[in-house]
Amino acid sequence: MKDIILSLEAVHFIYEDGTEALKGIDLQVRRGERLAIMGANGSGKSTLFLTLNGIRKPTSGRVLFNGAPVDYSRKGLLELRKKVGIVFQDPDNQLFSASVMQEISFGAMNLGMPEDEVRARVERVMEELDITSFKEKPTHFLSGGQKKRVSIADILVMDPEIIILDEPAAALDPKHARIIDRIIDELGRRGITVILSTHDVDRALIWADRVVLLDDGTVIGDGTPDEIFNDEEALTRTNLEKPAVLKIFETLCEAGVLKRDLPVPHTTGELERYIREVNK
Amino acid sequence: MMIIDKLAYSSKLRYKNPMLKTVFATGMLLICVAAHMLAVSAVVLVFMAALTIRFSTVSFSHYTKLMGIPFGFLILSTIAIVLNISDTPAGFFSAAVGGKYLVADGTSLLEGARLVMTALASVSCLYFLTLTTPVIDILAVLRSLRCPKIIVELMLLIYRYIFIVLDMASAIKTSQNCRLGNKDFMTELRSMGQMLTVLLIRSMNRSSCLFDAMESRCYNGELQVLEEHRPAKTGETILVIGSLSVMLAITVSLKLLGGVL
Repeated sequence: MKDIILSLEAVHFIYEDGTEALKGIDLQVRRGERLAIMGANGSGKSTLFLTLNGIRKPTSGRVLFNGAPVDYSRKGLLELRKKVGIVFQDPDNQLFSASVMQEISFGAMNLGMPEDEVRARVERVMEELDITSFKEKPTHFLSGGQKKRVSIADILVMDPEIIILDEPAAALDPKHARIIDRIIDELGRRGITVILSTHDVDRALIWADRVVLLDDGTVIGDGTPDEIFNDEEALTRTNLEKPAVLKIFETLCEAGVLKRDLPVPHTTGELERYIREVNK
Repeated sequence: MMIIDKLAYSSKLRYKNPMLKTVFATGMLLICVAAHMLAVSAVVLVFMAALTIRFSTVSFSHYTKLMGIPFGFLILSTIAIVLNISDTPAGFFSAAVGGKYLVADGTSLLEGARLVMTALASVSCLYFLTLTTPVIDILAVLRSLRCPKIIVELMLLIYRYIFIVLDMASAIKTSQNCRLGNKDFMTELRSMGQMLTVLLIRSMNRSSCLFDAMESRCYNGELQVLEEHRPAKTGETILVIGSLSVMLAITVSLKLLGGVL
């Protein structure tokens, strides 16, 4: 059992205009896990993310980081945000500088590191995310995929323990979405805890260790992708479709083509292999 | 605005030390304004225009078009200086207006020409700077000159968000025009008003999102960022100091010779 890095206990959040965005969320994030948060637009995902690094303070309930309640003093919040980074959905709301290098250096500079160290980190992150080739371009001439990479570099440069990505593939073409997917896979391999929100059930089935379904500010499902994507009722409530691979697998089992005792496939590749092996 | 920005990024002098470029451009500017002589201004104008065209991607015709922007304003304001009001016809040009005369003579004409030339030459110095130096580098120069932080930070944010607001505006305008929002003058006015309202609301939203994003990266009230170092080569420094000295020498000798121009 992995240890708990972040947990929410009965967290409520009400905006100033009276909208209740979070209605008693209980959630535990384990160190190093890949967690997908899914839910319709307006279900509270973004608000939830902002409570995870202390930008929004719960109206009631507690947030615990490494077992200790979050300290909402200036200093406590800086400590928390150093460890919990958020990559926002729209890079234009995150990138404030026209210079790629200045943009990426911002977070590291705020950590109070010496300039040489910041420079080395910025260079390293730019290298890792393939940003070096366009680092001299101003941010307003970058493509959507390039902006997204810069916005991930923004956070990675701070070396956080948890990275939260709000719909990282939104508005990207398939090619750039795949590039971002690979970057996210790499984050997981490095042992960074990754939380992401997505509407892509097929991707969540392949990638996630755990899926949490959010509906109207409450958690209505929390489990492995297999458990969640077989919960028809919860899927309907969150306007999600069952992943295509699971649907087809089910149909093939019902039609007697495949045996029910096969491990549930997660990728089209696995399913194709089953089908090819049927007549052998 | 967008075009000038693009040109600055594609200039051959883009990666040269921004401080050197600033010193060069403002040095030339100061010499030509202080001298206030037709000949000096003409030399500066030709020199700076030649440099700008040589080292940026602007063609000669494009450059003259850029120069045309301030030229219109200049002519209008110079007319007021060239023309005087007099009771009797004088000089080589007189026009009766009511009981008085609008007159122009040699002196006023020369003064007018001097003004136009000096202004154009100054603009050519500034064009040299803006067409070879991206805004980010100019901000770095301002920072090293100890310009107040708040001003530099505001410039940085405004510069970045000009492009986003322009994008939003053009998207809204396109979507309005798709629905005949420009079918006649009154409709167009109304569409414009609605667009401005939406832009304001969206900008407010964006600013609060941006603030959240900056807070997430431990923003502490100051935009601390890494500066790019583009050290000046000795040769370049000598070139800049050399050309400024030559220009200064020309100016001083012309002054001493007592040239009327």
